[in-house]
Amino acid sequence: MPTLTRRTFLASLAASVPLAVIVRQAHAAAVVHLQADPATLDALGDAVLPSSLGRAGIAAAVAAFRDWGAGYRERAELNHGYGTSRLRFTGATPMTRWATQLDALDADAKTKHQRRFRELSVAQRQAVVRSALQGERLDRIPGIADANHVAVALLAHFYDSSAANDLCYEAKIGKATCRPLSESRRKPLPVVRVSER
Amino acid sequence: MRRAAIESDVCIVGSGISAAMVADRLARTTQAKIVVIEVGDETVPLPQRAAARERFLRYGENPWGRDHLEGYEVEGPLQSRSMQVGGLAMHWGGVTPRFSPEDFRQHSMFGVGTDWPISYDELDPFYQEAEEIMGVAGEQGPPDLDPRKKPFPMPPLPLTYNLELLKGWAAKAGIATWSQPSAKNSVAYRGRAQCCRNDTCTPVCPVGAKYSPDFTWTPLRKANKIRLVPRTLVRRLVLDPKTKRISHAVAVDRDHPNQPVEIHAKLFVIAAGYTWSPHLLLLSDVANSSGLVGKYLTGHRNVQGYVDLPMRLYPGINEQHSLVTKQFMRRAPGTPYIRHDLRIWESSAGKAPRLVDDTGALMLGDAILDDWRARTKTGSARVRSYYDVIPDRSSELTLDTTRKNEWGDPLPKLAFRDAPESVEMRAQTEDSIKTLFGEMARAGNGKLLRTSVDNFQDHPAGGCRMGSDGATSVVDSWGRTHDHENMFVVGAPTSVSGSCANATLTFCALALRAAHEMERGLARRTS
Repeated sequence: MPTLTRRTFLASLAASVPLAVIVRQAHAAAVVHLQADPATLDALGDAVLPSSLGRAGIAAAVAAFRDWGAGYRERAELNHGYGTSRLRFTGATPMTRWATQLDALDADAKTKHQRRFRELSVAQRQAVVRSALQGERLDRIPGIADANHVAVALLAHFYDSSAANDLCYEAKIGKATCRPLSESRRKPLPVVRVSER
Repeated sequence: MRRAAIESDVCIVGSGISAAMVADRLARTTQAKIVVIEVGDETVPLPQRAAARERFLRYGENPWGRDHLEGYEVEGPLQSRSMQVGGLAMHWGGVTPRFSPEDFRQHSMFGVGTDWPISYDELDPFYQEAEEIMGVAGEQGPPDLDPRKKPFPMPPLPLTYNLELLKGWAAKAGIATWSQPSAKNSVAYRGRAQCCRNDTCTPVCPVGAKYSPDFTWTPLRKANKIRLVPRTLVRRLVLDPKTKRISHAVAVDRDHPNQPVEIHAKLFVIAAGYTWSPHLLLLSDVANSSGLVGKYLTGHRNVQGYVDLPMRLYPGINEQHSLVTKQFMRRAPGTPYIRHDLRIWESSAGKAPRLVDDTGALMLGDAILDDWRARTKTGSARVRSYYDVIPDRSSELTLDTTRKNEWGDPLPKLAFRDAPESVEMRAQTEDSIKTLFGEMARAGNGKLLRTSVDNFQDHPAGGCRMGSDGATSVVDSWGRTHDHENMFVVGAPTSVSGSCANATLTFCALALRAAHEMERGLARRTS
């Protein structure tokens, strides 16, 4: 069960100074919040990620997303662009808004269905997510940290992965992983589904 | 005020790829005491690069730590803010085509630009030497398109499954293509690993399969063949007015900024790239009797396109590797001066996953994957051509009187400008390339999705152009300054023009040719 409610989470923010400390604490608090209450994010994964991943695959994708969030660093220098002397840095942690949005999905589920988000069917969860994303501009999958909503962030994280690429092409491409050079000549081997073994 | 002093035979300013070539050569062939001065920090050691790459992939973070100086926001298109031991070639793409013979004879063959004071044939052995130092994997193209006297030091990077299909497509359009020569190990080379397709050559190779200058610096330092001094900014070169030689350099140690450093050497080699080399000469008011220091900045623009093709491709096999052709670089004399290279990559343009379908409806769950699969039944290719831009004299680096670094020195200001003949030909050149892309698409029963022109001039160079006449150039064909017998400028700044292909290998070849000339005044190594 969660040990940190949204209210105590926000209260912990307000009590913290100065700003840099607030920001660090906010990020840490959001990470703790997601770890303490993983069920809503897990349930979101079931609702928005492809079912062909299987339960284990979805759990792994959600865990990888959670790790991504935990490892986020604010004001980290971004890779230099060519053609400019301007430096760019990562922005404020998206984790705080994502944690709040997960709470909001849960609250909306309770309002509409009198049940927690995690207790809804996949179709019902998707309806709650659709409602939350109404008005969002979604013509392209944004960068993970730029995602305005946690559902979009989870999708952006998954679809940026080598695993997603392999799933789409149903082939062992292994994008951006260390692989034997000589094997690049041949057509990637097909992905063997568990049911086909 | 107490001054720290460094004594050497050869002082190399800068530690990028051209500096590494010079040091490698001089350390092998002479007994010279060599000191290398680098303003940036030490680079990230190879064992830490896998972790740095992971942060880059996950978060887009710069994998090279604090590789910049504060307050160096420069007006104009600086190639990169990065400064560190190894320079920009720590994060280059490792792509190493040679220029073609026409590049060195633009004026005599086509009546545009300026001829170089050297020919392709004269540079050929130095190209070869650079390829061997770095370890270049390459495929010999058709000899009439791709002349070279000796084979590449390594077999080519294999064409991927995707590139083999794309090669067949290009052939249908009448274009002969081959594996892009690259400073990436197709086999283990000189103690460095074989490439394993991590596909992050730019910005970081995590296994050391791509050459970067640290692979020259580390063994040279370990063997005490050079002394490399990081975090030290050379602010001025000081002239002996009687001899017209450079007597010493004045530098600031970033860790002890109140204690000036004096560097004394018999020979000064300015190897700080197209920006910081002319910048230092202008700050020092040396080597500029021609008034051309900082002038004739050069490079090349590109036209890029994406083509949808009716073939099943598998993006991600080795995305940074490409096909190349020099077919459009080798124009006959007297024809319009439209020269460009052509490269072809696998791509996922137009095939990325998406969240809304064609009607604008949000997709979730299986719908996203189903939609993505349906749209990837066919493939796409990226095509790109660098084209020649003839530099104008007013394409220049000047001292910016409004911006200074923390030591009070004016920063450089950059402005690239085309010569009138390039201005005149620009639209025709870009249209010609776009037309070619369209013809290629049709030859493969495909569709040209979109094209774009990058206004930025890539692989920037010039600023200390070479020439035979001291009135119209800064350095001679060896890189020796016309004004000061004991000072060379090497690599990118000495280029007369930027060709229409990645230029780093040419900068290296020029630097090695300069090093051969430097040897004449230094004690030779006998063993």
